[in-house]
Amino acid sequence: MDIYFFLGKGGTGKTTVSASFSVGLSYYNKNKNFLIASLDPAHNLGDAFNIELSNKIKKLTENLSAVEVDLEKMIKEYLNDLSKNLKNTYKYLTSFNLERYFDVLRYSPGIEENAVLESIKKFLNMNEFDALIFDTPPTGITTRVLALPKLTLMWTKRLMDIRRKILDRRKMVENVKGKTEAIIEDEVITLTADEKEDQIMIELVSYSKEMEDLMKLFQSDLTKINIVTMPEDLALFETKRIIELLNKFKIKVNKIYLNKYLIFDNPPEVIKGKIIEQDRVIEKMREEIKNINIKDIPLLSQSPRGIEDLLKFYDNYILE
Amino acid sequence: MKADPNRPTPAVKLRDNVDYVPAKPFVLYGHHFASIAGAGPITGPAIAMAWGWLPGLLWVWLGNLFIGSVHDYLALMASVRYDGKSIQWVSGKLMSARTKYTFEIFIYFTLLLIIAAFMGVFTGLATTNASIGTASILFIFVALIEGVLLYRTKLSFSVASIIGIILLVLSIYIGYAFPFIKITNAHTWYIVLAIYSVFASSLPVWILLQPRDYLNAYILWVGLILGLVAAVFAFRGFNWPTFTIFSAVTVGGKPSPFWPTVPLVIACGALSGFHSLVATGTTSKQLDSELSGLFIGYGSMFTEGFLATLVITSIAAFGMQVFQGAADALAKNNFDLNLLMTDKTYLANKYAGASNSVGGAVGIFTKSFGKMTTAVGLPENIGTTFAGLWVSAFVLTTLDTAVRLARYAWSEIWEPVKRVSEGFYKFIANQWVASIIADVLALLLIWWGSYNIIWPGFAGANQLLAAIAMITAAIWVKRVQKAKPAWQMAVLIPALFLWITVTIGLIWYLFVVVPSIAVALNKYMLGGFTVIMLILNFILVADFLSGWRKGPLPETETK
Amino acid sequence: MGLREVSTSLIEKELEETENIFALLTMGSFAGIPSPPTGIILRILPYMKREVYVMIARSKNLDDNLAEIAGIFSIE
Repeated sequence: MDIYFFLGKGGTGKTTVSASFSVGLSYYNKNKNFLIASLDPAHNLGDAFNIELSNKIKKLTENLSAVEVDLEKMIKEYLNDLSKNLKNTYKYLTSFNLERYFDVLRYSPGIEENAVLESIKKFLNMNEFDALIFDTPPTGITTRVLALPKLTLMWTKRLMDIRRKILDRRKMVENVKGKTEAIIEDEVITLTADEKEDQIMIELVSYSKEMEDLMKLFQSDLTKINIVTMPEDLALFETKRIIELLNKFKIKVNKIYLNKYLIFDNPPEVIKGKIIEQDRVIEKMREEIKNINIKDIPLLSQSPRGIEDLLKFYDNYILE
Repeated sequence: MKADPNRPTPAVKLRDNVDYVPAKPFVLYGHHFASIAGAGPITGPAIAMAWGWLPGLLWVWLGNLFIGSVHDYLALMASVRYDGKSIQWVSGKLMSARTKYTFEIFIYFTLLLIIAAFMGVFTGLATTNASIGTASILFIFVALIEGVLLYRTKLSFSVASIIGIILLVLSIYIGYAFPFIKITNAHTWYIVLAIYSVFASSLPVWILLQPRDYLNAYILWVGLILGLVAAVFAFRGFNWPTFTIFSAVTVGGKPSPFWPTVPLVIACGALSGFHSLVATGTTSKQLDSELSGLFIGYGSMFTEGFLATLVITSIAAFGMQVFQGAADALAKNNFDLNLLMTDKTYLANKYAGASNSVGGAVGIFTKSFGKMTTAVGLPENIGTTFAGLWVSAFVLTTLDTAVRLARYAWSEIWEPVKRVSEGFYKFIANQWVASIIADVLALLLIWWGSYNIIWPGFAGANQLLAAIAMITAAIWVKRVQKAKPAWQMAVLIPALFLWITVTIGLIWYLFVVVPSIAVALNKYMLGGFTVIMLILNFILVADFLSGWRKGPLPETETK
Repeated sequence: MGLREVSTSLIEKELEETENIFALLTMGSFAGIPSPPTGIILRILPYMKREVYVMIARSKNLDDNLAEIAGIFSIE
């Protein structure tokens, strides 16, 4: 499965570019089935296509489908499942305010990143598609999402080490006193010392395997990261930051789309300054960012809307 | 106490099967006794023989009965009534929060003295008796093996235990027959012990500490039973003076008036402050019923008293023969054997010095024990080696645990610094740094002298701890139990008596013994420690006075 | 006579402390400690009945550690 991520700040035209990309690529590769998914809570994808999209996958053409993922709903659902589960397991914790813990969880950093990653995982498992295109959330979240598998692996390794120590000590006590039984509020639980039986270890092992697969996927050539940016100082700065960050996690950036590029034969006074800045930024960009393809896309008087427009946009500006 | 069988103990009331779980009284007794027993009840009484056998014995019996057991029992029960909180925590509530912190500093210094004193005891034995030194080192490896057998193999508990015991016996025998570790230089042993304690205290407990703790329990009970049986069979009367002179030379080479210095010599066995930590740290959380408190609190202390009595008895009956057996060594060091045996005053003044030729006062015990056990058919040197291992095994455990505890107390003491410089705190509280500092400080105490000088410092600190625990108990009895004045006095008077005795004893120690220490660094360190402890002592008493005057308190406000 | 106890009491205390730490690390966000990515928490929390129990039990005595440690490690 090929994966295309489109990153970019709000206003850079990321949604337009990604939508156009999906239309064009699917048009010229009729033998493959494409899905474009918006992971951005502020969904614009439907607007770009001029079609109302929802949490259910909608077929747009023969080989292109689209969906706007409802992250809020996802989060609520799995927190609810967890809550039900935990209330049963932890009914002994009367002094322990579970409700409060869930409030903390709901707003703790990382809960949205997790939802995005879970959503990506879900799509990866849909074998009917050959390629996935993702219109991503604001760059902060997205870079954290891309880094999440590696970060998770660091944590699972650490937790597994501690878990092993627990199981090891339990085994020692078992050797002398027999299987350990814990009495929690009149309920007797047998504690296991065996890695293969310990539920926590089992979960940690399987989850870390999943994360490892994702991490390798993101680092491989199957994943193509595209950054949509504008020829402004701040945008360049941000773009470089993203590249650096992703580099740290061994994720390569595939292409940079320099959008809303100003082309004037006779620029009016007011715009002259902007054009000078623009040219300066582009020169700087070409100097400082090597090994990454940079494609200019000019500022259009009207943004493309609807599949036909998007295809034209692709032919004019994206197709190599 | 008004011990009430119907009043649930914390183990029952707060049962969580983690820290709070009721244990069968007999099991708890065994565990508690094993925790408080060590080399203490052996060393103190052995040193006190300089006064004759009766004075020490009287202090062991009377001190144990009227002060020591009372102290242990009250500390235990006060903690039980406070939901299992430690005596240190309770003192913080009854007196002031500063008390708790002061306690911690106090305990840290006491630990350093323990490490130094016990290094001295072990070295005294190992330098004069290669069998004991050999057996002790071999025993470390036996413990390592036992750890693997118990916790890593599929062997049953009984089988692993039996193998451990066999290996233990083997190490005694090898020490007896092939004493190949012949290090006579005390300083070498000090370094070895310091390195040992730094590493041992950093190992996971299952590797060395836990299995050795376990095997030590066997040594302890075998020693007690063997000693009792042998004493009964061997008894032919004492040939040791009942009473020598009032101011025999026991403390640091100076004539020491029996009162107030006897608590500085005999600590464990008669009275020991550390017991209050053990009793209120874990035992109080496992007491199944208030009625069991009497059995465990008094019972364990009495058993320790019994051990001390055994020590005194064996030296009283066989000590002179030991001196006779060492005639050459004594002569070489200019001690007159004849005078030792016939002149009470000479014995009183020269006992401490003379015993150095045979491994110190503890050495005399091991040899006396050896002679005593020939009555049950054991070759004398095996008995001696066994007794020596008895002491050294506990000493090695104490070195290990004292360093661990010192590390912990150290990190707690430096906590306030965290706010000022986190980097410094991280450095100073680092596991290795803390261990090494503790050992270095202890080494500086023991390096130049024998433990005769350090021992009273440790014992004194220990007894101060006990006095403070008893004072805390007295306040508790007054303010919380709201006992009648008669009962208040029953606790307060022994507590005050103890406090006065020990304080005067320590002041005497500071002005008479410390100045006579040869090496300046050593003198100032020990002197400094004593001064600090006396200051802490007075702070704690000031807190007591303000606590005593305050009004009645409701019981058990621990939530 | 409590001999099995004597042979495991230290290990059991260490075990409890480790279970405590495991629970603290996992639920760190509740105590102001950095916690693992939410994904991990969601997967293992349903199975941590014992560990959380130990954590709550131990938290009651956090201000009274010295004597407890002294009690566990027999000094004399």
